[in-house]
Amino acid sequence: MNKTFDRYASVAFLLIGAAFVWESRKIGESSYGSNVGPDIFPLGLGLLLIVLALRLFYEVMRTKSDNGPSTKVKLDYKRFLIIVSAAVLYAYFLEDIGYVFGTFVFLLIGFQVIERGKWLTSVIVASLFSIGVYYLFVKVLEGSLPGFPVWMNIG
Amino acid sequence: MDVLQFLADGFVSALQWKNLLFAFVGVLIGTAVGVLPGIGPMSGVALLIPVTATLTSGQDPDSAATSAIILLAGVYYGAMYGGSTTSILLNTPGESSSVVTTLDGYQMARQGRAGSALSIAAIGSFIAGIVSLIGLVLLAQPLSEIAIRFGPAEYFSLMLLGLAAVSGLASKSMTKALIMTVVGLLIATIGMDNVSGVARFTYDIPVLYTGLEFLTVAVGLFALGEVFKTILHRDYMNGEVVKVGRVRPTRQDLKDSAGPIARGSLLGFFIGVLPGAGATLASFFSYIMEKKLSRHPEKFGKGAIEGVAAPESANNASSGGAMIPLLTLGIPGSGTTAILMGALIMYNVQPGPLLFEDNPEIAWGLIASMFIGNLMLLILNMPLVKVFAKIIETPPKYLLPIIVAISVFGVYAVQYTTFDLLLLIGCGIAGYFLVQNDYPLAPLVLGLVLGPMIENNMRRALTGSNGDFSIFLTKPISLAFLLIAVLWLIVPLLLKLRGKKVLISEEG
Repeated sequence: MNKTFDRYASVAFLLIGAAFVWESRKIGESSYGSNVGPDIFPLGLGLLLIVLALRLFYEVMRTKSDNGPSTKVKLDYKRFLIIVSAAVLYAYFLEDIGYVFGTFVFLLIGFQVIERGKWLTSVIVASLFSIGVYYLFVKVLEGSLPGFPVWMNIG
Repeated sequence: MDVLQFLADGFVSALQWKNLLFAFVGVLIGTAVGVLPGIGPMSGVALLIPVTATLTSGQDPDSAATSAIILLAGVYYGAMYGGSTTSILLNTPGESSSVVTTLDGYQMARQGRAGSALSIAAIGSFIAGIVSLIGLVLLAQPLSEIAIRFGPAEYFSLMLLGLAAVSGLASKSMTKALIMTVVGLLIATIGMDNVSGVARFTYDIPVLYTGLEFLTVAVGLFALGEVFKTILHRDYMNGEVVKVGRVRPTRQDLKDSAGPIARGSLLGFFIGVLPGAGATLASFFSYIMEKKLSRHPEKFGKGAIEGVAAPESANNASSGGAMIPLLTLGIPGSGTTAILMGALIMYNVQPGPLLFEDNPEIAWGLIASMFIGNLMLLILNMPLVKVFAKIIETPPKYLLPIIVAISVFGVYAVQYTTFDLLLLIGCGIAGYFLVQNDYPLAPLVLGLVLGPMIENNMRRALTGSNGDFSIFLTKPISLAFLLIAVLWLIVPLLLKLRGKKVLISEEG
């Protein structure tokens, strides 16, 4: 597989393990009579993770670079990044802009990023989904979703 | 006959119109999940947990849990039916347990026998489903009666065995699988410790007190991870779909596949019961076995109906078998059953031996509904196979963003926090990169689900022994579990050292 990723990953896991060990030592002793407190389990696991990370690092170092000629398809980072950023913005502002509006915009962007064109179908599918889910969930099942932004003054 | 009485009660519960509806919706969505490449049973079930939580929110807790688990289990075994469709028509497996079906299934389709292949796959899946359910009915009571005598030490060791089994087979690199297991267990420690009430790793951040929600992590890792993969690898450019043609199998087809279906069902069931070895291995082994047993092994790979019947029966039987350790012992043996277990825990239902005592209506209702669900699937799949084949042609343009939107909706509807939505997306990205680099996700989810229980049992056992760790070794049953767990990890390593190729069980 990808050696660089594994190398960074082993360091990351090592740090995660160390952080858990370090932080679990700060957890207070048990609050009741037992001598097995809430710190033992994460402490032990943290130590285990450190050992495993070292083992992974060793394995990565030992395997020769056997990647060979890279036959990988070129990854489509452009579409991926646009969709991830759209999703993050959608998630972050969901409570502010409301469910129907946010979902509609996110879906429209998503549809168009993956394949340009067919705007009318995109608009119809996006509105059907966002309004449909909102109606079913909030009106029929009486659940709760962020409604419309205050300034829109509806529902 | 105690068992028959319970089963009858289960049927009463499963035959309520709302549970029939839930089973129907479950198997229908499951079939669609199996047919759609890009959504496997794990992400399908994870994605539907929040949706079912909403659908069942009006009912009282017990019947809500029954309905929800009926639907989710329906998705699980429904996906096993549906997975064959794309393998046969498109030469692209809908999920990993149908990979071997492509070998002969697609060849049959090219010879114009797609309909026979699809219907034999459905019939085989049905028979296998029934066989594994009978096994489940027979084994559930005795197994849970044994398990109920386990103390915390035995449980701790049994859960370690479950983790070891799944980690040992999950990836080409056992180190990576073990790392994922430990990370899952560590993530599970975040939040309020439910023995002492001490807050761990929360840093006074309110959203962390309840811990990282299992649902958010699972949906992110599996559902979003797969969406991101599809986008990054441009997997959505589909190939040609072969015409289905005549659906009913010929008499010769039925005769040829009777043996493979019977053998595949039994083999798949036993592989399914074993923790760690899931549907993928079951289908693989049964294909190899049929090829060895066949008088015309040269026909395999060129459109032999046996090569469709056996693996499709085996993968369905194994999904039934996998329910046994989940329901009776409370130990999920695979990623998908871990997610089912997480769903049950969300409903405050603890799978395990007590399930059959405390909530027999849930356990037996589920078992009875699986009989009904399998029948529904057979009826659905025979005439409607052409309709399902149409699902393959759903434009991914609309499908992918909608999966993201459903994930966001589902997580928000259950959790109501922006933090969980951002965690969801983060897990999606992490899930993609981890899978790409051969870090398996199933052990992580398993660790996340089992973590609190392992810790509780460990601390209860240690409290009883005054902190003496040797309690796990002096209790004979506990020692036996630990030894098997160690063997499970060491044997594949030894085989690898001797240059043997070890099969791994990919799921997704």
